[in-house]
Amino acid sequence: MSLIDELEKLLSDLNAALPEISSPAGLDELQTACLGRKGALARLMARLPELPPADRPAFGKAANAVKEEMTSLFAQRRKVYQAQAEDEGLARFDPSLPGRLPGQGSLHPVTLVMEEICRILVNLGFETVNGPEVETDFNNFQALNFPPDHPARDMQDTFFVREGIVMRTHTSPMQVRAMLERGKPPVAVIAPGKVYRRDSDMTHSPMFHQIEGLLVDENISLAHLRGTLTFFLRELFGPRVKVRFRPSFFPFTEPSLEVDMSCILCEGTGRRTLGRGAKEPCRVCKGTGWLEILGAGMVDPEVFAAVGFDPECSGFAFGLGVERVAMLKYGIDDLRIFFESDLRFLKQFI
Amino acid sequence: MLLSLNWLREFIPFSGDAAELGDKLTMAGLEVEGISRPYAALRPIVTGLVLACAKHPEADKLSVCRVDVGDEVLDIVCGAPNVAAGQKVAVVRVGVTLPTGLAVKKAKLRGAPSNGMICSEFELGLSDEHEGILVLPDDAAVGSPIPDALGLDDEILDISITPNRGDCLSVLGIAREAAALLRLPLRLPAFERHTSGGNASAELSLETDPKLAPLYHGLVIENLKSAPSPGRLRYRLNAVGMRPISNMVDATNYVMLELGQPLHAFDLDRIRDMTIRVRAADPGETLITLDGKKRLLEASDITIRDGRGAVGLGGMMGGLNSEITPETRRVFLESAIFNPINIRKTARRLNLHSEASFRFERGVDQGGATYALERAAHLLAGLSGGHVRPGFIKNEGRPRRKKRITLRRSFARARIGIGAGMENSFYEETLKSLGCEVEDVSGELRDGEKNPAECWVVIPPSWRYDLTREVDLVEEVVRLYGVDRVPAALPGIARNLERAGLPETKTAFISRIKHWARGASLNEIITYSFTGRKVLEFLGLDASGAISLQNPLSDDLDVLRPHLAPGLLGALRNNLAQGAPFVRLFETAAAFAPDQSSETGASEEARLGLILHGERRFRPWPDAAGDLDYSDLKGLIEHLLHFLALPEADFVSSGTCPWLSPAVDVLLGAEKIGYAGRVRKEIADRHLAKKEVWSAELNLDLLHSLHKKSGIFFKSLPIFPPVRRDVTFIAPLGLRADSIRKTIEGIKSPLETEARLIDCFEPQGKDERNLTFRLTFRRADRTLKDAEADKQRELIAEAVQKTLSVRV
Repeated sequence: MSLIDELEKLLSDLNAALPEISSPAGLDELQTACLGRKGALARLMARLPELPPADRPAFGKAANAVKEEMTSLFAQRRKVYQAQAEDEGLARFDPSLPGRLPGQGSLHPVTLVMEEICRILVNLGFETVNGPEVETDFNNFQALNFPPDHPARDMQDTFFVREGIVMRTHTSPMQVRAMLERGKPPVAVIAPGKVYRRDSDMTHSPMFHQIEGLLVDENISLAHLRGTLTFFLRELFGPRVKVRFRPSFFPFTEPSLEVDMSCILCEGTGRRTLGRGAKEPCRVCKGTGWLEILGAGMVDPEVFAAVGFDPECSGFAFGLGVERVAMLKYGIDDLRIFFESDLRFLKQFI
Repeated sequence: MLLSLNWLREFIPFSGDAAELGDKLTMAGLEVEGISRPYAALRPIVTGLVLACAKHPEADKLSVCRVDVGDEVLDIVCGAPNVAAGQKVAVVRVGVTLPTGLAVKKAKLRGAPSNGMICSEFELGLSDEHEGILVLPDDAAVGSPIPDALGLDDEILDISITPNRGDCLSVLGIAREAAALLRLPLRLPAFERHTSGGNASAELSLETDPKLAPLYHGLVIENLKSAPSPGRLRYRLNAVGMRPISNMVDATNYVMLELGQPLHAFDLDRIRDMTIRVRAADPGETLITLDGKKRLLEASDITIRDGRGAVGLGGMMGGLNSEITPETRRVFLESAIFNPINIRKTARRLNLHSEASFRFERGVDQGGATYALERAAHLLAGLSGGHVRPGFIKNEGRPRRKKRITLRRSFARARIGIGAGMENSFYEETLKSLGCEVEDVSGELRDGEKNPAECWVVIPPSWRYDLTREVDLVEEVVRLYGVDRVPAALPGIARNLERAGLPETKTAFISRIKHWARGASLNEIITYSFTGRKVLEFLGLDASGAISLQNPLSDDLDVLRPHLAPGLLGALRNNLAQGAPFVRLFETAAAFAPDQSSETGASEEARLGLILHGERRFRPWPDAAGDLDYSDLKGLIEHLLHFLALPEADFVSSGTCPWLSPAVDVLLGAEKIGYAGRVRKEIADRHLAKKEVWSAELNLDLLHSLHKKSGIFFKSLPIFPPVRRDVTFIAPLGLRADSIRKTIEGIKSPLETEARLIDCFEPQGKDERNLTFRLTFRRADRTLKDAEADKQRELIAEAVQKTLSVRV
C-alpha cells in the first residue's frame, strides 16, 4: 500500500472505530492513538523520507487534510458527549433545593410606619426633633395649658417619677421644647417618640409611640391645618382617603379637632360585602365608615405665652399614635403583639 | 353621658331619629360613641285590654281572662291577684321570648287554654317587683308596643363629654347645644310652685365660706313619705344607668341628670341645732360617708356641718349621720356651687368619684342653681306627698361676674382662613343661639381708641365656663359653622438659612443604625422602658440606683431600666418559649440613670442592644451547623463600627456587667462605647436558654458624636503587587491574639506590613495554642523580591519571640 493509501485508510479506520467508542475516555484514548505524538498519523508522517522529494509536498498536504478531517471527527464526537453530559447534569440538577440565605433581618412595624410618616412630613418641610421621655410637669402639662388640678389631666393617666417629674404622656412637650429652643417663629417640627400612660388592656399599652407636629409662622390658619393633614393622610393611605374634622378638646389647642379618615377597609361605607351580596357592618370602623386617626388644633395662645412667643402669632399642632396607624396599615388587631417581640410577628415586616 | 332621646324631646321639638341627632352632635364636638336601645326586647310585647276576667273553675289563685290585643282577642290564664277586667296590661303572645329568657308557649292550665301571658314588672325586666301584674296607664293604645305605651326611653345616646364642657353633663345642656345646632326653640320643664307653712329661712341658720361655696341655697320640704318612685321615673333612671332608690333620692338624681345641678337632701330631723355651716374640714377629723366608709379629712375638703359636726362632704357625698331613710319626714334640700379645685383634690385623694364631684370639677352653672333647687324640691314634694316650705335658706357669697369679650372678625378670619359663607350675621346668630349676649361695637370709641370694623362685645352665658377669650369665641363660631366647611390649603413652610447644613439628627442617625441592623440579619424589637426592681437584682445590679415610678402598674414594672438587658432577655424568653431555633434581636432605646445635672433628674442614653442565641445557620440545609458565639457578636460590632467609618475597637475583659461572664468592654481609644459578653448561665437558664446567650449594648449617643467627626477618605490604590508569607506562633493560652498582631504591625520597616490571623488551633489538653498569621508585605516604590519577603518574615518571627512569650 502506498503511503497515500495508508493515509486514506487511517481515515476509514477511524470512521469504522468511532461508533464502537462508548465513553469520553475511550474517545480520548483513540484520539491519542490516532493523533498523538506517537499516534498513527505521526508514525505515517515519520515515513515521509520514503517518498521521492517531488511527492513529498503533495503527501504533506494530504496528511494535513486528513489530520483536519480526523480532528473535526473527534470534535464532533466530543460535542455529542458534552451534550450528553450536560443533559445528564441537567437531569440531576434540582432547582427546588433551598437557597443559602445571606440572612434577612426585619424592622419593627412601628419603625416602618414612623419612618414613612416622617418621610412625608420632612418632604413637606418639617424638621425632626427629639427629646427626653422623662419630662418636667411644666413641659408635659403646665406650658401646654393643663393647670394643676384640672380635670383635663384625667384625660391622660400619668406615671409620676417624683414631684414635678413625669413620664411624658404625649409627644406634645416637644412643642414646648422646640419653641423654647428656636425662640421665635418660624417653627416647623415633628417629634416622633415613646410616650407613657398608666393603662394596660387589649387596646391600651403603658408605652406606645406618637408623632407630634407643630407649625408656627405668620398667617397660619385652620385652612392650612386641614390642607396639611389631608395631604398627609392621602400620602399615607392613598389618594381616595376622605378626611373629616370634628371639634374636640385639648387644653393646648383652640379650636381642637379630632381628625377622622374614611375607613380603609370598607372605604367609608361602613359595610362589608360578604358572599352572594350579603352585607355586614365593617369590623374595622364598627360600621361608622370613619376611623379616628389624629388629634389636632390651632395652638392655644396660652401655649405661646408660656414659651414667650407673641400670643397673636398663629400655628397648628397635631399628634397621632403610631401603633394605631400600623394596626390599620398592616391589619394588626391586637396592640399587645407589638411589644411581645415574637419573631413570627417581627419577621413579617422586612 | 347617657342621654335619652325622649327626655331631650321634652326640651326641644326634635322630630328626627337618634342617628341623625348623633351625627349632628358628633360633628359639633359632642362625640356620640354609641346608640343603645335598652328596651328593644320589649317591642314585641303589646298593650292588651282585659275584656273579662273570671275565676278559674279548678284553681283558686288563677283567673281566666279574655284580652283584646288589637288584632285578636286571646284567652289567657293569669295567676296575679290584682288582675281585673278593664285594665290595660302588658301581653306576651305565644312564641315571644321575655327579657328574662322565658319563651312563652301555648299551654293548658288545669284544663283552661292559655294563649299568652300577662306580665309583671319583673318579667319585663323593669324591676324586681313580681307580686302582681303591671297595670298600664289608661291612655295606652290597645295593641301598641309596651315601650310606647309606657313612654319608655328606648333610644339612648352615649355621648363623650370633653372636660371643658361641664355644661353638657345634663339633658338641658345637650338640649341647648342641639337647639343651637338645629336652630330649634328651647323650653324648660314647667312646674307649679306650691308652698305651705311658715317661712323656713327663719328656722335654719346658714353660714358659708364663699371661697369654698360661692353659692349655697336650700329649701325645706315636709310631710314626706318614703316610697318607691312611680314607674315612669324609675324606668327613665334605669334607662340612663342610674339605679332608682326611693322617691326622695330619685327626685334629686332626676333633676341632676336633667339640669346638671347636683343636689343633696339631708334628713332635717338629724340636723342638730337647725344649723348648716359650710367650711373647710378640720385636718384629722373623720366622717362616715353614705357608702359606709370612714373618711379622714384634710383642710382642703369642704364639709357641710350642723351645730355639732360634719354631716356631709360638700360636692362629693353626704354623711351617713344625715342620710335619708325610709323614716325621713322632712328634708333640707341643698343646691350649691362648690369650688372645683377643692372638689378635685378631695376626689383624687379619697379616690371618690361621684356623679356630683364629676360635675362640680367641670363647673356647674351658678345661674341655674336656684331653678334646679325649686324644680327638685317640688318634684320631691310631689312624689312623696309632702309640701315645700316657703323661704330660701340661701347665701350667694360670691356672685358670678359677667365676662365681656371683644371679638374681632379680622382675628377670626386670620385663624380660620377663608370662610366662605361666614357673614357677620352668622357670627352674631351663632353666638346668640349659644346663649351669649352680643353687642355690635364696630368702629366705636373705647378707652380713646377706635374699635376695628366688624367687632362685637360678647357676654357668654353663665353655664359656659370655657368661654373666656376671643379664641374661645372663634372656636364656637367655627364649630357651629362646621370645620369641614373650611376650605383646605397647603401652607408654604418657610425654610431657614440658619438651619441649612446642620449635622445629621439623632433620629436620622438611629434610623440608619436600624437599617444597618436589618441588613445584618437582626430582627428589631421594642420592649417596655420599665422593668422590675427584682429583675435588676437578679441581674446583679443595684436596684436602689435606678429611677423608680411612684405609681407603677405593677411591681414588675416599677423602675426605668438602666440597661436594655431586661427587655432583650424577656424577648429571648418569649421566643424560646414558642420554639424559635435561633434568636438574633436588636433594640434601640433609652437607658435611664439618675442625673442631678439634668432638669428631669434623669439621663437618657440612646443604646443599641443586641442578643444572640441558638443556631447560626438560617436553614438546616445547606448551611453548616453551629451555634452563635462570641465571634458572631463581635463581628456584628466590628461591622457596625466599619459601617460608621470608625476605627477598630479594642475588646477588653472587664467585670462591670454582673449579668455577663465573660464580660468585655468595647473601647474606641479611651472611650468606652459599650460592652459585650455571655449571659451568665443561671440567668440564661431562667430565660429558657439551652445554649449560650450573647449580648451587647452600645452607646449610640457616643457613636453618633464620634461618627460626626469621622469620615471616609480615599487612599490611592497600590501600584506594586504584594508578597505574602505565613507564620505560626505557639502562644500560651492567656496571651491575647491581637497583641501578636499589634507587635508585628508595630515593627519599624520600609515595607508596608499587614498581619491577619488565618488560623487558631488549640490542641486538646495543652495550655498553648497555635496562631497562624498571614503577613502581607508591600513596597510603595517597587515590586518586592521573594528574598526580601523571606528575610522580613524571619525578622518578624524573631522580634515577636523577643517581645512576647511565644515560640515559632
